[in-house]
Amino acid sequence: MSANPVLDIRHLSVRLHTRNDSVQVVDDVSWHLAPGKTLALVGESGCGKTVSALSLTGLWPAGVVAECDGEAWLEGQNLMELNEVRHRRIRGTQIGMVFQDPLTAFNPARKVGPQVADAVRRTHPKMNKAEVRRRVQDFFVEVGISEAEHRYDLYPHELSGGMRQRALVAMAIANEPRVLIADEPTTALDVTMQAQVLDLLQRLQRRHGMSIVLITHDVGVVAGMADDVAVVYAGKVVEFGPVVDVLTNPRHPYTRGLLAAIPGADVEPGTRFVTLPGLPPDMADLPSGCAFAARCELAHDRCSAIPALVPFESPAAEHQVACWAEPPDISAPEKVSRR
Amino acid sequence: MSTLTVTDLVVEFGGARSRKTVRAVDHVSFSVRPGEVVGLVGESGCGKSSLARSIIGLERATSGSIVWGDTDVTNARGRTLRRYRREVQYVFQDPYASLSPRLTVGQTLEEALSVVGHPRRTRAARASELLHLVGLPKSALQRGPSALSGGQRQRVAIARALAVEPRFLICDEPVSALDVSVRAQVMNLLMDLQEELNLGYLFIAHDLGLVRRVAHRTMVMYLGRIVESGPSHEVYGQASHPYTECLLDAIPSVDPREQRSRGFTVLQGELPSPASPPPGCRFHTRCPHAQPQCSERVPEVLTGEPVHQSACYVR
Amino acid sequence: MSLAEAESEIVLSEGSRARSGARITRQLRRVPLPALVAVGLFVVIGVVGPWLAPYDPNQVDLASVRQSFSGEHWLGTDSLGRDELSRLLTAARTSLVAIALVLGLSILIGAVIGVVAGATGGIVDEVLMRLTDVGLSVPSLVMALAVLGARGPGYYNMILALTLCWWPAYARLTRVAVVSLRQQPHIEATRLIGVPPLTVLVRHLLPPAVAPTLVFASGDAGFVALAVATFSFLGLGLQPPGAEWGQMLVDGLLTLEQYPMLVVLPGLALTLTIVGLNLLGEALALDSLPRNISRRTLRRRIAKLPPLGVGRRVDRVDELTDAYFGRTR
Repeated sequence: MSANPVLDIRHLSVRLHTRNDSVQVVDDVSWHLAPGKTLALVGESGCGKTVSALSLTGLWPAGVVAECDGEAWLEGQNLMELNEVRHRRIRGTQIGMVFQDPLTAFNPARKVGPQVADAVRRTHPKMNKAEVRRRVQDFFVEVGISEAEHRYDLYPHELSGGMRQRALVAMAIANEPRVLIADEPTTALDVTMQAQVLDLLQRLQRRHGMSIVLITHDVGVVAGMADDVAVVYAGKVVEFGPVVDVLTNPRHPYTRGLLAAIPGADVEPGTRFVTLPGLPPDMADLPSGCAFAARCELAHDRCSAIPALVPFESPAAEHQVACWAEPPDISAPEKVSRR
Repeated sequence: MSTLTVTDLVVEFGGARSRKTVRAVDHVSFSVRPGEVVGLVGESGCGKSSLARSIIGLERATSGSIVWGDTDVTNARGRTLRRYRREVQYVFQDPYASLSPRLTVGQTLEEALSVVGHPRRTRAARASELLHLVGLPKSALQRGPSALSGGQRQRVAIARALAVEPRFLICDEPVSALDVSVRAQVMNLLMDLQEELNLGYLFIAHDLGLVRRVAHRTMVMYLGRIVESGPSHEVYGQASHPYTECLLDAIPSVDPREQRSRGFTVLQGELPSPASPPPGCRFHTRCPHAQPQCSERVPEVLTGEPVHQSACYVR
Repeated sequence: MSLAEAESEIVLSEGSRARSGARITRQLRRVPLPALVAVGLFVVIGVVGPWLAPYDPNQVDLASVRQSFSGEHWLGTDSLGRDELSRLLTAARTSLVAIALVLGLSILIGAVIGVVAGATGGIVDEVLMRLTDVGLSVPSLVMALAVLGARGPGYYNMILALTLCWWPAYARLTRVAVVSLRQQPHIEATRLIGVPPLTVLVRHLLPPAVAPTLVFASGDAGFVALAVATFSFLGLGLQPPGAEWGQMLVDGLLTLEQYPMLVVLPGLALTLTIVGLNLLGEALALDSLPRNISRRTLRRRIAKLPPLGVGRRVDRVDELTDAYFGRTR
């Protein structure tokens, strides 16, 4: 890992409190984001990947109070130490966010252009109206929204889904943030739109030197976009490393299960999918020890304790795994499971 | 043993009070033989859901015909519709919305069984059997849908569809709303059931990878029209319609090196609005091989025969 | 809440799970205690009041007219020497019965019309809804005057008149609920399986459609109580010698300056009941924004849970509450 990550999460834990319940959704998670690179947080719904990113921005949904522990260093500032006022200052300026559903991310009662303009004005409070408008339109063009002049004055529902997503990206990068958090940016989109949005993000990254945290459950997206990947399961990072290593040589049984479950190319129709037995865990009711043990074919006695995330193969290696299984076991051929 | 035959189906929305009619399904023809799985692939807005819903009678077909076996079931009502729905059933996309929140799993299944006149005494036992068929434990009978996960709910939805003992299932994006690992499980279940019970499937999805595995034949839909159809391995292996090629290209690979060298194949533009489709070949606005005549001449409508056909006269 | 608010709430919340008894109980806890007490008292007295009354409320005793509080008559007597306390207690039942009848009948009629309109659609829906609109637009006083003009004043005529004013709102609410429910996948799935339409209506559409009306009704009850009192005040409702708060008000107005209690007492009873009912209704009203856990409960809960990380525990709770409660509503 190169000298200074732009975003360094250390031992982050998050517990969410609502009126009825308290659940720990992130457990001692550590990852880092290299400057100008993309880190993918991969996992299934409820695994805690979104929450760990939300804790950076402090944007919690109504009815939820978050209790956080750990550190999150962004350019010399520990985000966990910030109060709301200072958090608001970095939100949108140093950290941009692109959400999954562009329709709810925009205010439906206001035109799109002015909403992006609001974002621009945060770092350029002295700019006059015409300049701000021009700048917004430039951003629109940069993200591929044609007829930017005209589209500036449209309402969110008047834009097509793809255009809205682009407008959302424009709003997120309006202040040239150091870090862009993209939370499932392509999940609601079709395959062809997905490709467009990912391509756009890549171009923006190259142009502005942005670092991206890409949260997704789609491994295919990860392969194309990410430089590093952290696989999250039950609130913990179970595997971390450069994407080439992790995807071509997955070490954790969960990662291998995820990859195997993807419908691959060139198989005979009727071939069954390779499945992970059991169900994703219930965060409110986690077992002690390794949360994946119940579904793991390599489970043994040591798994009653939670494995730590350690480098694999050599101490200096960047590929880390949290698993008790010894290397020879991990190389054993996978069993094809039917249900 | 019945074949589902759809001929020249048109489904339109709007008219009367709306300004424009939208033609969601534009002259589609195909057939599915007993025990066959036909996949229908397309992006959202292409009309595949409208097609599926009109086949099962949830939407009105504007013109064309739907024939099941030797009965015309287009816009069927009353007894014809009831008999049809005993043989052709539907699995919805959203497992969180397709089960009644007020009923337990057992009540939902028993309600379905009562529809087919299953004797009251043995309903509970049969419900357990159905759960076993879809891989759920008997204890699920007492639970309400809110206590179940997405994958479990979808299994219950499948069990409910099977309760009436259909010969054919229309699966409308049955796994899109599920997590990746659960998706694989439910797909395996659907494939197992299809083989064990020799069911016909119309399998609708936007994920080509899924459809490729499960379907014997595949149809690709764009803006209300079928643009390519044929045996799956031919459609995927030797795709001839430019749209199909784009769809195949856009599937990301999980090998980062391969994906990186490919780059993202970007299909420009967006799906045009179904309310005002482009003239001539509807795909010409985004087609990398478009020629001047493509905006004037409409390609031939595919006849729905089992051979590999493509609605493009350029390639 | 207003009818418009209730309608839009129904549409918005149809996506989420149906309201359950547990949620209602939780919301009941949000009701301010005085309101709960007032309503509770009202209902209890309404039921057992007449049996608790020490005297016959209609017994006239011209010898002890307009007496103030005494050992014999705890709350004094009215202009005809009748025991005020007994009259107040009996009047509670009058109001309670009236409210129950008006709301009960309105919900019944409204539900039938709303469900038929919503489930059938088309021309039937149009006709029924236009009828409902007419009902909504006619002011209650005009409607009541018409009915009472035709049938003469009286308790049950007044209830009839009020029911005619009240049912349209419930028809609208049930129709909105049914229409948005019908499009839900689980209703479609049930129809697809072949469940007969009547069963779908009764088993799947009716219960969730009626539930929101019950909530609305709890807020409406206050207005019905007010309407009953108003009509009786105007002499159009329960005729003398029956005991009714509005009517007792009229009675006492004649001698307001000398014997204020004769107005204050029924007025107080009315006010407490109506305000209590309104507060109850508002608290039960559908609340879409979940509320945060309170500071106190949060502290207590955190103290009981294992430490989150290696962090400095005690400080953390204070920082946490300060940091996060600064922004919560």
